[in-house]
Amino acid sequence: MSEATPSTNGLAADHEREPENWEALARRAARRSGEEADQQELVEFLTCDLAGAPYALPVDRVREIVRMRPLTSVPRTPDWLLGVITLRGEVVQVLDLRMCLGLPVSDLGRRTRIVVLHAEDGEVSGLLVDGVRSVLRTDESAICASSLTDVGAVSEMCRNGDEFVSIVDLDHVLESHTDA
Amino acid sequence: MAARRKRSKQTKAQREFVSEAEEILDRLCTDLAELQSQREEGDGDVDPDVVNSAFRSAHSLKGLAGMVGHDAMAELAHRLEDVLDGVRMSRVGLDSPALPIVDQIIALSTELLASGIESSGSDVERVAEVLARLDVALTDSPVDESKPEPELDIDPSMLAALTEYEEHRLGENVRKGRHLSLVETNFELASFEEGLSELSTAIREVGEVVSTLPSPGAAPESQLRFSLLAATTVAADQLLERLDFPDTTVRIVLEGSGPDVVSEQEAGRAEVSESVPLAPEASDFESLKSVSDSVRVDIRKLDELMTLVGELVIVRGSVAAIANRLTHDGATQRIGAELAKVHKQLDRKLKELQTGVLEVRMVPLRQVFQKLSRVARRLERDLGKRVELDFVGGDTELDKLIVEELVDPLVHLIRNAIDHAIEPADERHAAGKPEVGAISVVASQRGNHVVIEIRDDGRGIDASVVRQHAEASGLIAAETVLSDKEVLSLVFEPGFSTRSEVSETSGRGVGMDVVRSNVTRLGGMVDLDSRVGRGTVTTLTLPITLAIVQALLVETGGQRFAIPLNSVLETLLVDEASIQRSEGRELLNLRGEPLPLRRLSDEFGLESVPSEGGLCAVVLGLGELRMGLLVDALIGQQDAVIKPIQGPVRQVRGIAGATEIGDEGAVLVLDVSSFVEDTVRRKDAA
Amino acid sequence: MHRILIVEDSETMRSMLVATLEELEGPIKSDQAASGFEALRLLPRERYDLIVTDINMPDINGLELVSFVKRNEQYATVPVIIVSTEGSERDRDKGLELGADAYLVKPFDPDELYDVATSLLARSRQGA
Repeated sequence: MSEATPSTNGLAADHEREPENWEALARRAARRSGEEADQQELVEFLTCDLAGAPYALPVDRVREIVRMRPLTSVPRTPDWLLGVITLRGEVVQVLDLRMCLGLPVSDLGRRTRIVVLHAEDGEVSGLLVDGVRSVLRTDESAICASSLTDVGAVSEMCRNGDEFVSIVDLDHVLESHTDA
Repeated sequence: MAARRKRSKQTKAQREFVSEAEEILDRLCTDLAELQSQREEGDGDVDPDVVNSAFRSAHSLKGLAGMVGHDAMAELAHRLEDVLDGVRMSRVGLDSPALPIVDQIIALSTELLASGIESSGSDVERVAEVLARLDVALTDSPVDESKPEPELDIDPSMLAALTEYEEHRLGENVRKGRHLSLVETNFELASFEEGLSELSTAIREVGEVVSTLPSPGAAPESQLRFSLLAATTVAADQLLERLDFPDTTVRIVLEGSGPDVVSEQEAGRAEVSESVPLAPEASDFESLKSVSDSVRVDIRKLDELMTLVGELVIVRGSVAAIANRLTHDGATQRIGAELAKVHKQLDRKLKELQTGVLEVRMVPLRQVFQKLSRVARRLERDLGKRVELDFVGGDTELDKLIVEELVDPLVHLIRNAIDHAIEPADERHAAGKPEVGAISVVASQRGNHVVIEIRDDGRGIDASVVRQHAEASGLIAAETVLSDKEVLSLVFEPGFSTRSEVSETSGRGVGMDVVRSNVTRLGGMVDLDSRVGRGTVTTLTLPITLAIVQALLVETGGQRFAIPLNSVLETLLVDEASIQRSEGRELLNLRGEPLPLRRLSDEFGLESVPSEGGLCAVVLGLGELRMGLLVDALIGQQDAVIKPIQGPVRQVRGIAGATEIGDEGAVLVLDVSSFVEDTVRRKDAA
Repeated sequence: MHRILIVEDSETMRSMLVATLEELEGPIKSDQAASGFEALRLLPRERYDLIVTDINMPDINGLELVSFVKRNEQYATVPVIIVSTEGSERDRDKGLELGADAYLVKPFDPDELYDVATSLLARSRQGA
């Protein structure tokens, strides 16, 4: 039985890391998790802050992490669609992950970030989070069902030492937020 | 000792092989043609460097072909190399019957190359055949005995580094009675190539450079010493004079003599043969011409190019803005004016580039027509109907991206026509129509747009039936007043076509909503017209190109929007008083004609903040339809590259995409066709 | 870290040589020269552990390059592999006489090149 070994890589302290490092980190992690997944059942998550609590996002969907940038709002769309941003020539919708999960929304701050993901079909979208922490590396045995019932997008949790971190089901989030 | 080695990648090498082999064959051809013409005009004496160059080409080709496993090519190249080695070593004369066969071998090689790495059975036969003939030709020609090496006073290290060929050349020159000299000089490491090239060229004017040997220079870190063994028609002292180079010595190795020491005039021959003659025998060299005048381009490269040009255009816009600011500030006015001038040039060039790239992206519709043909034939078989498909306007060109996106909708429409519109044979017979159904696809260019019509002579669409189904499925209320045309367009509504049974009676199948959304996504419009019992016409109107458009920037409710300029007919200042109301709609009297109006603020749920002068009406036109879009203010004109909005949320009606404007982020681009349709066709507000 | 200089005018051949040589044990950095002249320019800039050269090249041929290398104090100890098309035994003999450490015939067997290069590099490491 292997223990869950969170690898913080000393990143917990460094919240102001440049986006490029995160991208490289996420990419490497995604690649590694793809290759080694079969052998060692390792899974990697990007832990983010939402309304003061940590949440885990599967790293293989994360394309990059960017800071806040000008958001253009789109008329006649629900509140949780904050608008669109341009990202190296692409135009991408940004959803407020806190609202999508029914969490309280706080003002944008220094640590606010947009996590850019690819969906199953390749389309790119962005999720606004209060902050990004680190990449959590663990194996499947550390994942268990959530203690909360009826939470849709958060049905699993991951044990990280003594903490339990909710895992966000990205597909669920994206699929249930499609109506303008 | 067998150390372990990983598998290496071959396919990249194979691709490079074809490309390089083509170049080599080209060079070889040129050299041989050159030799031919030299032989014809001169006294049989040809430039040995050209012969050597031809040999080296065959040699390289042999090595290359061997490496990638193209055995047929390797064999051909090997024999070519042998023959050419024979020529350069004077074992085979240029008048040998083997030479014309060499031309044929080159032609065959080019053909083999065109069919890739694998050789077919017939290829192998042809190779064997031509090589057999080569053998015969070579036995016929006398083979010169190799000459004994002359005793020469040359530095042993130089002699030791002479290749067999160079030895041969040495012997030849001695035989011809040329002066042999050793030219030595020093060059700086940083620039030796230039100097050496000049020096060699100077020597070649009066003879040949047999060999070039580098040695460590006086200062090995920064200098190189070169020793050139030159065989010239002029004596050493004269040579030294000709070579007006610093730090150069010329030492006599062997004094020349004999009949072949030519005068200075003839030495200039080397210059004359610079121009490349045309290939002599057209028939033999047919296959050597490049296959076509066009180049295959990966569509992704075109997209990248287009995006790049689009981004350049946006950057240019920023430059214009800066020039503007500078010009308006007294302190920087002059610089601003200069920048503005330069910007004008940039703008012109960029527009040319843009046009050029756009043209590259344009493809004729013909290729789509061919595909539709095939689909039709399959459907005829599957559905047991007979249809004649007629295509007009295959030359009409559209942006490649648009054409690609059009394939699906068009296939869909053709399928619908064959499946539902064209009646079964007996019904047609009863209706007095020919058994073979007629479907025609007509494409034509109208100004900034391309119009594609799909006409059929089938049963047509009954508006009243459509109406019934629309009411039954809750799409429209029973009281809604709609013209026949408006009723027909209900067929495109998403709610309408999900019920498959509808297709039998309404004459149109599932998926019409997808057709329309595909077309509007391209910035176009789709239209239906039909006569019951007579037939239907579906009209697609598309912009010629997607990529970069000129856009009008407007503002409403504090937010900016972009409107593609090619749909904007004019702009007007409107004050509230002149807006008329009729039947719950707003209109403007525009030169005697009623112009339906729509407020952008209403459409998007924004708070209008009009300026003092009132609102602005942007008159939009699509085809023959006109409307006026009311906005708070006009900002200006802008180049825009319309990008699709990615994300899980479905597209809002009225928005075609977004474009990037400088540092301000995205600006939403309005979908003119949906505005026009909604406003002009009296659709109920959502 | 081993530095290898590859001298070969055919681009395709060059990339095949690079592909094989970069599989050698340990970190490898390879520099490519498309002609003898380019090689002359590159030589003083780096300390090379191995030179692989063709014979048949424009400007100066491989034999001349080998001669230059072996007569130059600075580079004389660098092992040289000649990879050239067969056809001239004389050229091969001359190459070896001039001091080349190995002569491989094109089309070369990648495993053979790999083995020869490995042993030459090991030898020079020991010697140095």
